Order: sequence, then C-alpha cells, then structure tokens
Amino acid sequence: MADSSESDRLQKETGFQKLIRRPEIGAFIVMVIIIVALAIASDMKAFNALGLKNNIKIISQYGIIAIGAALLMIAGEFDLSIGSMIGFAGMSMALMLKWGLPFGLGEATPFTAFFITLIMTLSIGYIIGTIVVRSGLSSFIVTLGFLFFLRGVTEVAFRLINQSTQVSGLPDYKEESWFANILGGEVFGWFYDAWYWIGTKVSSGIDMNADMSRAERIELIEYLGLLNINRRMEQWVTGFDARFMWFIVIAVVAYFILSRTQIGNWIYATGDNKEAARANGVPVNRVKIGLFMCTAFCATMFAACQVFDTNTSDAAKGNLMELFAIAIAVVGGTLMTGGFGSVLGVVFGAITVGLVANAVFFIPAIDGAWFRVFLGAILLAAVFANERIRKRITGGI
Amino acid sequence: MAEPYLKVSGLVKRFGPFTALGGVDLEVYPGEVHALLGDNGAGKSTLIKTLAGVHQPTEGQIYIEGKPVQFRSPRDASGAGIGTVYQDLALNQLMSVTRNFFMGRELKGPLGTLRMDEMNQIAHDEMLKIGIDFSDPTQAVGTMSGGQRQTLAIARAIYFGAKVLILDEPTSALGQKQQMGVLKTIKKVRARGDIAIIFITHNEIHSRLVGDRFTFLALGKVIGAGKAEDISDKEMRRLMSGGAEMGDLEQELSAI
Ligand SMILES: Nc1ncnc2c1ncn2[C@@H]1O[C@H](COP(=O)(O)OP(=O)(O)O)[C@@H](O)[C@H]1O
Ligand SMILES: [Mg+2]
Repeated sequence: MADSSESDRLQKETGFQKLIRRPEIGAFIVMVIIIVALAIASDMKAFNALGLKNNIKIISQYGIIAIGAALLMIAGEFDLSIGSMIGFAGMSMALMLKWGLPFGLGEATPFTAFFITLIMTLSIGYIIGTIVVRSGLSSFIVTLGFLFFLRGVTEVAFRLINQSTQVSGLPDYKEESWFANILGGEVFGWFYDAWYWIGTKVSSGIDMNADMSRAERIELIEYLGLLNINRRMEQWVTGFDARFMWFIVIAVVAYFILSRTQIGNWIYATGDNKEAARANGVPVNRVKIGLFMCTAFCATMFAACQVFDTNTSDAAKGNLMELFAIAIAVVGGTLMTGGFGSVLGVVFGAITVGLVANAVFFIPAIDGAWFRVFLGAILLAAVFANERIRKRITGGI
Repeated sequence: MAEPYLKVSGLVKRFGPFTALGGVDLEVYPGEVHALLGDNGAGKSTLIKTLAGVHQPTEGQIYIEGKPVQFRSPRDASGAGIGTVYQDLALNQLMSVTRNFFMGRELKGPLGTLRMDEMNQIAHDEMLKIGIDFSDPTQAVGTMSGGQRQTLAIARAIYFGAKVLILDEPTSALGQKQQMGVLKTIKKVRARGDIAIIFITHNEIHSRLVGDRFTFLALGKVIGAGKAEDISDKEMRRLMSGGAEMGDLEQELSAI
C-alpha cells in the first residue's frame, strides 16, 4: 500500500542517527572537551580537592537557575527577571534576619525568613505568568519590566529599612539551625572523607621535609592537593556546598517531570505549538504560569544558598544571572523557540560554562575576560547547532 | 431513515458586524461521508469551529442525537463526540508520534508518570487500524509525511471517542499519492459504520470519490444540499462556483 514504503524509509534510522538528534549531544561533546582542556591547562589543579569544590559551587549556582530558565524556554517563554529575583529574595531574607519579620511579628528564624520570602517570590512569579498569558504580550518585555522593577524594589527596601544597600555580619545561622545548614552548609562530607582516606593510603610515608627546595615543596603540596591533604598533612576539604545537593535535587526532579510525566508532555506541547496544545485540551496558561513560578523558585533557592553560606546580602546580588541562565539553557540544547530541550543538556551546559567561568583561577596566565569571549562564541555555535537539529527533525534537512 | 447524529439548524455566526454564517442547516449521519464544499471564505472553517466548540453560535441550535447542546469549549464538543482534525492538524512537530497522539489526554500512572510503553502500543495499533504501519512511534512527527500526519490526527480523534469526525481540507496541502492515501483512510473510517464524517474540500473529484451527501456553502449560506446520487456533475460544478451559471462566468470573463 501507498504509505508503507514511506514508513519503511523512516525505519532505517539507525541508533547513531537517533543519538545525534538528541538535544544534549552537542553540549555533551563541548563539556568533555572543556573538562579535558582545563585538566591539562591547569595541571589538574582545577580538579584537586578544593578546585573541584569551587567548580561544583559555581556549576551548581548556574545549574539551579538554568534549569528553571530551560523549562520555561521549552514552554516557549523567557524570564529576564531571574537575576533581579535573586537580589530580591536575598534582600528579603537578609532584612528579615537582621530587622525581624514584617508587621512586628518578632524575630525571624532562617526557616520563617525563607518561607515568607518564598511565598513572596512565588506570588511574583504567578503575577508575571498571569500578565504574560492574559495580555498575550511577549514575555521578553513583561519580564524586562520586572527586571527593573524588582531590582529597584530591592534597592529601595534596603535603603528604607537598612539605610545601606548591604547586610553583612549576620550571625552564622548554619551553626545552630539545621535549616540554614541544609541551604548554606556543607554536604556529601563522606565523599571528601573517602577521598582523604584514599589519599592517606597513597601518600603514606611522604613527609614535608625541612631541607626540601621551594620548588619541591610546591610540587609536593600540589600532589597532596590531589589527595585531599593539606600542607599540615590533615584533611583539606570536608564537603561540597549545600547548593550542590539542591542542584542535584532540582535537576533530578526537573528531569523526571519533563521526560516522564504528563506535565512534561504539556510543557513540550505548550512550547512547540501553543494552539495545537490548546486544541487538544492542554491547559497552556496554567503550564506557563507554573513555570514562571518555577523560575522564581529556582532564583529563591539560589539566593537562600548564598545568604546562608555567606551570611551577607547586597542589592547587586544576582546581577546578569538571567542572561547566564538563558545562555546555559541554549548551550544545553534548548531551542529558543520552544518545544525542544532536555534537563541533561542543561546540566552539561552548566558544567561547561561553570568550568570556564572559574578557569581563570586555575590558569592565572589567562585574562578573565576570555570567559565572556568564550561564552559568546559557544552560545552562537549552540544556537546554530540547535537550529540544525530542529530542521533535521522537522524535515528541513 | 436513520436519525442524524449531529444536526444544525439556523446557525448564525457574526464576528462583530461581519456575518460569517447566515443561517446554516446541516445533518450528518453515522457511516456517511458528508462533503462540505464551498469557495475560500465561504464560512466552512467557521462552521466547523462552531461545531467544535471553538466559537459559540450567535443564533441557531446544535443537536446531538436529537438533543439540543451547547458547547462552551472544545472540551465540551469533544466530550459530546465531535472530533476535529484541523487544517494545521493540531500536531506538534518536535514531539514524538505517541506524545502527540496522547497530547492533553495522557495515560497516567503513579505520580503523574506517563505509561509510555502502553501509549506507544496503542498509538501504533490505532494507526495500523486505519492504514499505516508506523513501526516507531517514538519518532518525531516532523519526520512524517503529510498523509501520515493526517492519519495520526484521524486515528487520535477516533481513539478518543469521536462520533463525528470533522476533516478540514485534509487533502489540500498534499501531493497526489498522499491525497489518495487520505481518501483511503476516510473510506476505512466510513466502513466502520458508526462514525459520521464531515469532509471539507475544494476538490470536486475527491468529494465525488468519497462523499455520500453534499452541502454547498457560499457567503455563509447553504446554496445547495443533497445526496450524492441526486446531484449531477453539472449542478455540482454550478454550486462549487458559488451558484453562478457557467454561462454567466463565461460572459463575465469574455467581457474583459
Ligand atoms: N475570528 C474571526 N473574526 C472575524 N472574521 C472571521 C473570523 N474567522 C473567520 N472570519 C471571516 O469569516 C469568513 C469565512 O471564513 P472561513 O470560515 O475561514 O472560510 P473558509 O474556511 O470557507 O475558507 C471570512 O471572510 C473570514 O475573514
Ligand atoms: Mg478554511
């Protein structure tokens, strides 16, 4: 019959063809190249005990917001207010912790400061989403409005309540509060403990010798760094930042929702062709509003980890983060036009961009501004690559 | 005679001052293909969008199995057994066949998870029933031919309980061979006997090939209707061109 020849032709697609059609494949290749290049160029310093911790820190920061941005982009919308939302949430928590809860409700605990802030940011996300779906305006312009609005509110609130645009010297809440600790403390200590344990086995017998030359000392310290041992022969690093755990949690939940659930199917459907989705009964508006709340949630987690890690906040926090989030989503294979993308790709993108952002610390010879040159270049490359994949799927190639 | 599954009487639809439909009557019977014909802008799409719950009628009444109904949303209409396959098919190209098949009506397991294997199987089986053996329902719809997409959209509508299948110009954007594929699909659905088909087309030959009953629209009004065997080819051509006589048209053209 007429159509069978056509489906036969389609059956010939090989496993390899399927693989190169996956949204995360480009991001994966770039990530591997960057990891190898950085390991070589930094003489492995980027992946010694402290290097890994610092890299994972920035990767997690980027990853948390990029996943929120990517889900929203897959549904066909942008959120330029992420960075200002981070500033707003940080301001809100820090001011409550320093000056007490609003309306004279008394002292704030990390728990109450976080949840009251989260209620506010989710409400703002809801409002942004509602404006976008009701007005039919581009989310670009609506969220650009909120970029300015929230940053302004943040600064004004700081000045009115705190007289200065900065809060510092808050008590170290993670010492007493388990809640502050799961946001700003350390996690996966067992990983570094095991690393140290293996390090002691490997290095047994080595000792810092009084009559070593300076060069020998440096070489030995670098070697011990790879074994998680400091120069006093003690354990060097004790754990990852808690944000690493949140990054993993958010990534796993987002992956599960996007690829395994009904809501995931709705997200793809909404971004691919809104009218088609609506005609089939997908609650397009609710999906979009929910995802604007999701980016607000991610921004709040970003801010909370920062506040409870450093016990400070200021009005400039999160500046430009919305653009990094979008760039990483695109580098991770998310289509600007919606309907296509994967959480795994965004994770690869966050690793790539995070490593390059930090590279200057491990390779002092390079100018830090190369990071932005690189980001701009891979962003453009990714846009072209994504467009090619889209065309291949829709039969253009 | 059997009772019509769907009946429309005196349907009027105005968009502001513009009357898109000026009192349309229509009856569709199970197991029949009802060809809806008319020039561009005649109001065919508006009529079916009203039947599909996208538009609300300004005046007039829709009956399902003799009972008056009111559709406030597309959901109401599909709940009443009206399955619409639009010109753009309401498919998402980047998504897989299965994900499109179940879009908005996914089979859920615990935690809202998709029962993917089951859904793949159903999508495959339902499409096979009306003519294509699409072995890999995890492939993106973008890789399918136009005819296969039509089949997917039709299979989907039937699986989700369509008693009236509305096809809006399903053959217009296709090549010759694929057009025949779609006509075959229509015949297969008709042969089930329990589904009424409204087939919108520009094409005289196609409507002759599969139509049991015709309704001709022009400028929002029904200018002719009847069973296929009662309408001669000449009459059909006259009605297709909006009711003008061939002679009139010839005259009009020669005046230029
Ligand atoms: N939503 C709308 N608002 C205003 N006018 C409309 C709308 N939809 C259709 N029309 C008008 O109604 C007329 C009939 O259109 P349509 O039903 O699409 O015709 P057909 O499908 O027969 O080509 C056209 O003149 C069109 O411009
Ligand atoms: Mg039309």
